[in-house]
Amino acid sequence: MNATYVRIEFTRHLRDGYNLIFSLLMPSAMYVLFGNIPSYTDQELGFGNVKFYVMVSMAAYGAAVSTVAIAGTVATETMQGWGRQIALTRMPPATFVSSKMFVATTVAAISSALVFALGAATGAYVTQNWIWVASYLITIGGSLIFACYGIGVGMVFKSESALGLAAGLMVFFAFFGNVFMPLEGMMLDIARFTPMFGYVALIRYLQLRDVPPETGFAVDPIWMPVTNLVAWAVIFAVFAVIATRKARARQ
Amino acid sequence: METLTRTEAVTLRGLKKTFATGSRKVEAVKGIDLQITTGQIVALLGPNGAGKTTTVDMILGLTIPSAGSAHVLGLEPRKAVLGGRVSAVLQTGGLLRDMTVRETITAIASMHLVPERIDEVMERTGLTRIAKRRVGKCSGGEQQRIKFALALLPDPDVLILDEPTAGMDVMARRDFWETMKLEAVDGRTIIFATHYLEEAQNFAERTVLMSQGKVVADGATTQLRQMISGRKVAATMPNATAIQRVLSDSDQVSIEEQNDLRVSFRCQDSDGLARLLLTELGAYDLEISAPSLEDAFIHLTEDAS
Repeated sequence: MNATYVRIEFTRHLRDGYNLIFSLLMPSAMYVLFGNIPSYTDQELGFGNVKFYVMVSMAAYGAAVSTVAIAGTVATETMQGWGRQIALTRMPPATFVSSKMFVATTVAAISSALVFALGAATGAYVTQNWIWVASYLITIGGSLIFACYGIGVGMVFKSESALGLAAGLMVFFAFFGNVFMPLEGMMLDIARFTPMFGYVALIRYLQLRDVPPETGFAVDPIWMPVTNLVAWAVIFAVFAVIATRKARARQ
Repeated sequence: METLTRTEAVTLRGLKKTFATGSRKVEAVKGIDLQITTGQIVALLGPNGAGKTTTVDMILGLTIPSAGSAHVLGLEPRKAVLGGRVSAVLQTGGLLRDMTVRETITAIASMHLVPERIDEVMERTGLTRIAKRRVGKCSGGEQQRIKFALALLPDPDVLILDEPTAGMDVMARRDFWETMKLEAVDGRTIIFATHYLEEAQNFAERTVLMSQGKVVADGATTQLRQMISGRKVAATMPNATAIQRVLSDSDQVSIEEQNDLRVSFRCQDSDGLARLLLTELGAYDLEISAPSLEDAFIHLTEDAS
């Protein structure tokens, strides 16, 4: 990691306030809207309440989307000749990627921290405090698999508007990944194979692991979300590598 | 490889590069042998598509040769880059529009591990004044100066410029080369690719002429200048005998182009020839011009191919 470069990256994000505010505040706004106002959210659920459930869902969505957007700039900037410029310095290209990942993770961490803080202030709770910490860490760590997705899309399309599309597609993944509203039946069966399902299901597992099957909020055995997460991590990583190779060959 | 003599800045041996685009193969560089001594200022001159950029990329280790080898100061290109011995002003892109000038320089300086050189380099390239401006708001000339500043950061022994003045107006181009001249000191080797013959003439002691992936001429730039010296005198002649008169009168006159009685002569003493044509031979519609540099360039590359 290159500290100077990371600092400049943050300065750029701060200056381009619109995107930053969007990625930092939208998850919080969504939590307020869907997790806080409806009356059912005070109901108990698993080791906590519905508010906690909505809170981690929104935090995870926000973390993943901001990671996609920032990681994608690795690709677009590389293809705009900035990669060649960096290739003429002592810094290895991997440091460029890791510096960007640091920025992406930091933004994801801040955006989720805001949602979690808002949750704590408005009555989201779990009976075991370690679930707060573990949920937060999985949210941040798991969002990194979407970095590969962002890089891959950026390398294929090379344009900033493609990154907007990639981030937009995350809404689709989120709906289809059981993130925003509980799916059931065949939809849920298909959802188990979509990229955001494992990520969010793993976070929720902590809260819901003892919920009895009759309630409708019962969780899959833990190997299912873990398999989903690992499989998509591998798929996105391979996609990023292949897209990068192809993009470079075309240069 | 440190045992190699210090006098070799760049050595290319049988350098080739083939690109595969779909099913077709394009030979961008078809075997180049070249030695450039330290301290030389060399122009790589050639039209677009001559293979200049591909050659430069291989000297910088940005592109792997299909065959042959490139060495910079006796080192593998990648090692020379990592040691800060060689740097370059790249032709296309290479800057991020939403960064400020100073941020751009600071970022690349941090990657070279030379933060202490930022102020000096910005001062020398005249960027201090526009340090806070965003790159996207800078003119083409200013953006080239930023790239030039980036190339100076590692204080390289070999500096490569790929079409450094592309897209600049005349004034900006002159300013750029003025700044450049100041950097051509202390035995620094400078290699620049250009398709402006004029730039080669004004700034390079040696010119390597490239066409279609090959070196077609290589020599002192003054030689090149001689090849394109002289004047072109065009006139409409009264009859064919008059044309013969001109040619037999002086062996320094040759016909460059002839369309029936309209003849273009090439000569050294245009005044003498004009006098002869007008007073003794009764030629009319006389025009005298210096051969354009582009003309000469086309002749040279055509001769070679």
